[in-house]
Amino acid sequence: MKQIIFTLFVCGLSFLTSCYSVRLRNVNGAPQPDPFSNREDYYRGMAVVEIDTVITINLASKDFTYLIKEQDGCESGKLNIIEYRNTFGGILLSAITFGKKRKVKVKYVCQKL
Amino acid sequence: MATTKIKQLNEWNTLHSNGPFPLKILYQTKLEGERVMPSKIERYNDAALEIQRLIKETKHAGEGFRAYGSAWSMNNIASNKDRMHFNGFMNISMPIHANECHQENTYDPTNLFLFECGNTIKEISETLAEHGKSLKTSGASNGQTIAGCVSTGVHGSGIDSGSVQDYVVGLNLIIGPNTEDNIFLEPKSKPVLLDNFVNSLNSRVIRDDDLFHAALVGLGSFGFIHGVVVEAEPVFLLKRYVKKIDKNLAFELANTMDFKNSAFVIPGESNAQGKANRPFHFKIFINQYSDDSDCVVEVMYKKPYQKNYPDPFPVIKESLYRDLIYLFVRLAENCPKSIPWLVKRLGNTILPEEQKETTGMLKEIFWDAPYQGPAFACSFGIHHRNSEKAMNLLSKLTREEGPIPGIFALRFVKGTKATLGFTKFPITCVIEIDGLLWKKTRKIMSLEEYSKRMIAVLKENNIPFTIHWGKNSYWKFPGLVNHMYGGSSDKWVEERKKLLSSEMQDMFTNKFIRIVGLD
Repeated sequence: MKQIIFTLFVCGLSFLTSCYSVRLRNVNGAPQPDPFSNREDYYRGMAVVEIDTVITINLASKDFTYLIKEQDGCESGKLNIIEYRNTFGGILLSAITFGKKRKVKVKYVCQKL
Repeated sequence: MATTKIKQLNEWNTLHSNGPFPLKILYQTKLEGERVMPSKIERYNDAALEIQRLIKETKHAGEGFRAYGSAWSMNNIASNKDRMHFNGFMNISMPIHANECHQENTYDPTNLFLFECGNTIKEISETLAEHGKSLKTSGASNGQTIAGCVSTGVHGSGIDSGSVQDYVVGLNLIIGPNTEDNIFLEPKSKPVLLDNFVNSLNSRVIRDDDLFHAALVGLGSFGFIHGVVVEAEPVFLLKRYVKKIDKNLAFELANTMDFKNSAFVIPGESNAQGKANRPFHFKIFINQYSDDSDCVVEVMYKKPYQKNYPDPFPVIKESLYRDLIYLFVRLAENCPKSIPWLVKRLGNTILPEEQKETTGMLKEIFWDAPYQGPAFACSFGIHHRNSEKAMNLLSKLTREEGPIPGIFALRFVKGTKATLGFTKFPITCVIEIDGLLWKKTRKIMSLEEYSKRMIAVLKENNIPFTIHWGKNSYWKFPGLVNHMYGGSSDKWVEERKKLLSSEMQDMFTNKFIRIVGLD
């Protein structure tokens, strides 16, 4: 019984610690503002684009490139801040599909035009 | 054509959540694209027409109108209950050429630039750096828009360089919906731009010293600031030191500003006789809850620009768990006695790292300040000779009637010419307490009550003072503005009446202006 609890504890802990975010920010350039946003996190007042999707790629493809385009939330088409989140579920998904399905959980803010 | 998005709202808040304040309509104007309208002057003039259209629309509705930029002010100075305009996307910049300067211009034309209202300090600094130039000074960070900085008197700690408004040499104001309501205001005694150039901005020139100085720190009430002409200077480096020194020595410097004859000498920052050089920037950090005889000071010296200086940025910047900050706030509200302990624990996060030396351009030293949750700041301007006395009084108040979740810092700024500039003393000592925004409980007084007591204590002790227009205070304190500025406040009101029609005075008056009696 003790062994099962211990195993569950270790699994739970590794599940939690495997979820983390990494943020990269340019030293130069101002982030695109969004006066209509009412976020209360690090991105307060900024125009944040959030991607939370699963990309399916060919088994023969090594990796993929997600293109940041000029759009309403990214008028310059240039990145200022990007944050990606690593999740246990994402790693598991990639593992069981042999890399065919890749979980993408990214937030980014573009450079102010 | 510049385009405006409209959003119907019930309320609006500042970046640091000092509201919410009521609001009906929020406008957001974006410039016409460069591909469609490549000429900067054309796009600038096109945006002015759009602003005039919005002013006309507001006038017909009989409502109030107020522009804002980054929402960094911590009170309702930027708010209007009717209509507000976000100008952050209006960020054209243009260097001024010698042939665009007035015949009597005394500035080096290569130092002159026109910036549209929504340019942030960061954007301006980067534009200037591309021309080998720099702002003369900035606030402690770089996210404010230039129009917001000028309107509220944003300052750094430039002992001999003043506040942001002090390097603004001309203002392009939109004071109504008609063609003649687009004006360029500059002092008669120091004209900058050629009439023909001003006319190319669809503006008419007004040269008037008193009007210019009143409009400089205009509190958002002299119309819509569309652009400012700033005087920059050749890019320079700042060498920053953080030292722990005896409090008595720090206050001796604060009270006298006599660095030359002080015992505080940093090796390498003295003259041939071993006397200390005068720093560009001087800041004292005071933890009012600590009885340490030493305090941390931040000192910066101006150096000529050279390539290959050490990288001033760390690779990693950590930030505290937001939940931890909220936990501290809850603890402070329910157990105020824990505040001194909490402040001590947060010491490494609040105070700069001791013994650290950094070199960088102004824009690198005063870099981004990421949002860290609801915050407050109360900031007083006093004559530097009263620094120690005022600091002791405010510390005592904070300890005995608080504690309050924040710590003090003192900065020193050259006096301003702006009629209502809060850095009005020859060298103003800015005493500021900033920290986490809390809510009143049975055990801790409210921010409003604390602010009121701070004013009362300085008054009781006959210390002349001013208050930063963009910070928290008890603005309802009876006769406050008159006490702070005397006749200058009447002069400011008179100059405003000279410039704006009564209809436009109403439109550009908000609750803040009414509360402080400047309407």
